[in-house]
Amino acid sequence: MKSRALLLAPLVLALCACSRQTTEATGRRMIVLGVDGMDPQFLEAHWNELPNLNRLRKEGGFRLLETTVPPQSPVAWSTVTTGMDPGGHGIFDFIHRNPQTRMPFSSMAESVPPRRSLSIGPWVVPLSSGSVRRLRGGTAFWRLLEERGIDSTVIRMPANFPPVDCEAQSLSGMGTPDLAGAFGMFTYFTDDPDEKRTTVPGGLIVRTSVVNGRAELVLNGPANSFRRDHTVVTYPLVAHIDPTEPVARFDTEEEQIILREGEWSGWLRARFRMIPGLASTAGIFRIYLQQVRPRLRIYVTPVNIDPGDPALPISTPPDFSRELAHALGPFYTQGIPEETSAYRAGILSRQEFLGQSRQVLADSLRMFRHELSRFKSGLFFYYFSSIDQNSHMLWGRYDSDLLEIYRAIDAAIGEAMQQAGPGTTLLVMSDHGFARFDRAVHLNTWLMQRGFLALDDPANTGNQELFRHVDWTRTEAYAIGLNGIYLNLQGRESGGIVPHEEKERLLDRITEELLAFRDPKTKLNVVERVYRPEREFRGRNLASAPDLIVGFRRGYRASWQTALGAVPAVPIEDNTDAWIGDHCMAADQVPGVLLSNRKIQMEHPRLYDVTATVLAEFNVPRPEGMLGQSVFEAPAETARGAR
Amino acid sequence: MVMDAFNQAFNSLLLWYSAATAWAPASVRLALLSAAAGVGMIWVFGKVSNQARIRTVKRKVQAHLLELRIFSDEPAVAWRAQKSLLRANLGYAGLMLQPVLVLALPTVLLLVHLEGFYGRAPLAVGRPAIVTVAMRGPAITAPVLMAPEGIEIETPPVRVLERNEVSWRIRPVAPVSGYLHFTIDGRTVSKRIEAGGSPLFVPGRRVDSAFAALWRPGEPRIGAGNIEWIDIRYPQASVSLFGFSTDWLVWFFILSMASALLLKGRFKVSV
Repeated sequence: MKSRALLLAPLVLALCACSRQTTEATGRRMIVLGVDGMDPQFLEAHWNELPNLNRLRKEGGFRLLETTVPPQSPVAWSTVTTGMDPGGHGIFDFIHRNPQTRMPFSSMAESVPPRRSLSIGPWVVPLSSGSVRRLRGGTAFWRLLEERGIDSTVIRMPANFPPVDCEAQSLSGMGTPDLAGAFGMFTYFTDDPDEKRTTVPGGLIVRTSVVNGRAELVLNGPANSFRRDHTVVTYPLVAHIDPTEPVARFDTEEEQIILREGEWSGWLRARFRMIPGLASTAGIFRIYLQQVRPRLRIYVTPVNIDPGDPALPISTPPDFSRELAHALGPFYTQGIPEETSAYRAGILSRQEFLGQSRQVLADSLRMFRHELSRFKSGLFFYYFSSIDQNSHMLWGRYDSDLLEIYRAIDAAIGEAMQQAGPGTTLLVMSDHGFARFDRAVHLNTWLMQRGFLALDDPANTGNQELFRHVDWTRTEAYAIGLNGIYLNLQGRESGGIVPHEEKERLLDRITEELLAFRDPKTKLNVVERVYRPEREFRGRNLASAPDLIVGFRRGYRASWQTALGAVPAVPIEDNTDAWIGDHCMAADQVPGVLLSNRKIQMEHPRLYDVTATVLAEFNVPRPEGMLGQSVFEAPAETARGAR
Repeated sequence: MVMDAFNQAFNSLLLWYSAATAWAPASVRLALLSAAAGVGMIWVFGKVSNQARIRTVKRKVQAHLLELRIFSDEPAVAWRAQKSLLRANLGYAGLMLQPVLVLALPTVLLLVHLEGFYGRAPLAVGRPAIVTVAMRGPAITAPVLMAPEGIEIETPPVRVLERNEVSWRIRPVAPVSGYLHFTIDGRTVSKRIEAGGSPLFVPGRRVDSAFAALWRPGEPRIGAGNIEWIDIRYPQASVSLFGFSTDWLVWFFILSMASALLLKGRFKVSV
């Protein structure tokens, strides 16, 4: 009996200690605002116009925040989520490639079909449930908080789709697909005979005709998983155009709306019938009546997952998105809701893009205020996408438009400062900064010209994607994604030709030549740094890592063609796209920012220090593999060295 | 004319009831009405059904069920019992036919009228809504729409040629209980509009034909003219009872059935 009591004593003491710790921590409050793409140079140039950020800088602290290699949002936010470098969480780019096929796929999530199903004619009856799998490794910091009984609300954290399974209230962010499973596929209907395109990146262009004032519009929904051929399920819309006035009535199966030319609709609901009368999927979309005459031009947003009836997991608890939709009405659930694709395709003008972007921000601010007002204790994290997406389209050319977005975020930060008061720690951080994107680098063409990549016929250069004309029997290296170069390695790539013993020598050669790569137009070095993942990262989760990560000089970036494996004719050319700002460069060229209402002791904080700071605030120990240290502690030499 | 008078009388009765019980929330008003309807239905059922035969058939059903249980190990007897059970059930269904037919018309009329009291919510202030006029011929010329104070007309009329309809987008900016006026060919037709507040009654589509007025009884018929109907797309209302919010029809059926079944003994009615 006595020995049993002795055995139990440490357990009881540990439980008491744990309970006391939980109680102490539960009373604390911390607000972390993640502002994607907030740039330190832009802030420095506009402190006077951003009063709340300026006050935060003066009363608390302001630091450059070292971003990840490469400085891409899914990579950087995965580091914030897990406190690990990319070698720990295993996300190295927006897209990874399958070494067997060299085909790209989303680095953030994949869908897993049901394991067992029964086929009956054209129909398939799933006998087990399919799922969506998040590909990021590591443990999300809010799960660690939850284990200690600390409440948290995490809204729109990027690369968190499907959301981490936990009791905390969370809503998924960047990486959440639209209902069709894409990152955002708009539909543009027109009767313009001069519009010859049928697809553009991120959108479909559909020819329609107006007969007796009526135009039939068909929206594409998800692929029908109940059919063997996976036919896309569609939803019909009818536009009734007035014979003389610039106005139209849109009839859906459930609703009617009227739009004047130049007006956006509110959210409309669509139910895509997978099995008529038995199974359907709900989506929401908005219509923009761009023009009635002389040509009909109707823009329809990607069909978003309906937060009130989500077809895929977008929140924890699952009912949380329903509660938000009930309180706020429908809202964008698509990971990146700003319509940059339509602007880039010349379908929306800059003013139209800005109008839509303001609606996204208004949606986001409504949700922010709602959740901020409900925040009582623990952690509140909220992510803003607007500065990042607008910087891509406005950076360096339309500063006043961009400043308007910064001001709106500044006002939101002011509200958070007011709600925080002196007893709550407030962190405002960005994952990276921004730079002009003036010159587009076709890395595959460069590799070809340096003899590392071969085509079946040297004349077959062009914009055909997915390495269409690449001769893999003579190719040593290829580029895919926005910063990655991969070797065509024996035993890893299907039909790879580079022996393992040649790997280091080849990587050294490519690195050397990349660093010597000069832009024939500007005479500047194109590449600032070349990173080797196994040397750069502490984590060993390197299965999807490129062999080299290219850190471009400010102003340079891998071309869109490179991202999807095309080999155009020239290695570098002017960026003529509407996408004029970017950050997929060398990490030290585009740092983010960190501001707080408390004194920041650390001189050179990194992204994973934000994670460590959150855990330290609630006295939660860092698990093994998690890096960093609280930014409110002076970094001891030893501690710094251990990072 | 007769239809208008009938609708008006029925509607006035329900309006009187609603006004008399206006102190109570809509859910309570509906619950009381449903219970009363249930009582009325069971009383009528008792009067118009053949109670003696119903009791006999029910006893036969029970006897055959017992037969099935007792002789479950004798297939021939069980099979005969199954056939008799089916016959008795068909007989029971036949006996139900007469009271159901008698009750159908008043019940449907009651439901059609109640839709305006519990099925439609007034327009939300600040939210746009669509008003549509259906014409008898091609909608080449749109009527002129005049709205009361508190209702903004946001768009020019959309002439939907294919359907002979004309639609406008309106937006209430304040609570309103008034009339929209549509003028065409020198003739003005009105349509009642409710926005904001908690009106007891929200009329649906205003129609012209007598048959349509049977199903759309909220307002008098339009009368002769070029307009077939006028509609305002009101949001659907839901009634919250015991913490559950759903369509009023669900509550009506649950509560009327419950009261009828509870009180059938008191009325000595066999169902």
